[in-house]
Amino acid sequence: MQKLGDFKLPHFFNYPPYFTLQPVRDTREKQVQVWKELILDYCRTQKIFVIGLEEDFPLFSNPVIERSLSHEAREAFISALVSEGRAEWLGKGHRKCLILWHRIQDWADIILRFVKDNGLEDSVITVEEMRSGVECRGTELHGIDRAILMRALRLLEQKGKLAIFKGTSADDEGVKFSM
Amino acid sequence: MRRRPGIGGLQNAAAARDQYRMLGENVAKIRTDMMKEQLATFRSQLEEFARKHKNDIRKNPAFRSQFHEMCAKVGVDPLASNKGFWAELLGIGDFYYELGVQIVDICLATRPHNGGLINLQELCNLLRQRRKSDREAVSEDDCLRAISKLKAQGFVTVDEVERRLSWTSGRAIDALDTLLDEGLAMIDDGHKDGRRRYWFPCVSSISTSVADT
Repeated sequence: MQKLGDFKLPHFFNYPPYFTLQPVRDTREKQVQVWKELILDYCRTQKIFVIGLEEDFPLFSNPVIERSLSHEAREAFISALVSEGRAEWLGKGHRKCLILWHRIQDWADIILRFVKDNGLEDSVITVEEMRSGVECRGTELHGIDRAILMRALRLLEQKGKLAIFKGTSADDEGVKFSM
Repeated sequence: MRRRPGIGGLQNAAAARDQYRMLGENVAKIRTDMMKEQLATFRSQLEEFARKHKNDIRKNPAFRSQFHEMCAKVGVDPLASNKGFWAELLGIGDFYYELGVQIVDICLATRPHNGGLINLQELCNLLRQRRKSDREAVSEDDCLRAISKLKAQGFVTVDEVERRLSWTSGRAIDALDTLLDEGLAMIDDGHKDGRRRYWFPCVSSISTSVADT
């Protein structure tokens, strides 16, 4: 089985026709399905949060079989993820996207569990500490994309679980939990 | 060689070892050269044999099967490519290709009845019926070879189909697009030569289920 670093690639990745958008509907559906799964799996294990469609994202081409996904194909697969709520287009034009291998709601749940596990129910912590501090090491929050973290926090703020406040500088945004 | 004591004796021993080593290397080289020569002789005799018995190879399945075995022993695969000596001499590359296409055809036609699994014997019978008017007889061995050749390549281009089966472009495209619509083929437009390829993922499952009988 071919690998990309530590990641085991599925068999279809070595089969040239999968790099061409299939015209027959049933075949296309199967194709889109396996590509969606691959993209999510890969991003989750590699902790990738943003994909640039015009950049060298390793899944978009396979040099071993000398095939690359056309821009149209890339767009088709990402759009399918967007429809499922597993991705969001960033900015105008379908060039960059956010990958939600956890949905925002899932991230919110992870934050709540993190708070409970660390006894932070009545504490204050900076946003930066949540994603790079000592407590988050070994948890899924470690290295999370800042924008995604903020969205999950705002979701929890709306539910009254916490309050976000600004610190002395942009880096000092903090969170006070009231759970 | 009598051993002498002291440094002189040591130097002699070292020189003797060197000479034995060189001798050993030469012997190995001679053996390899002889083997290469024998192999080359065998191959040219095999080609001579093939020339002489061309008709038997074409017409007689049992003879053909033994011929393949003989070739395999010297590392010759007459079906490896459709170009070159073997293909031109025997013209059997096309035979197996055509067989491969007919086999896929039969498997397609019987799929509604057997769900995609067909017994090798039955396949051969259907094949013989279909080829009743054809000049060359077909054996189960032939079927297996044709299938393994199809599997090896896995895809065709429109040109190839036209050329090998003497079909018009329209007919070739129609046939391939039908297989595409049936979900039995997938297109591949990514090759740098710009030519569309039709891949047959079903062939792997056909060859596995047939081979298991």
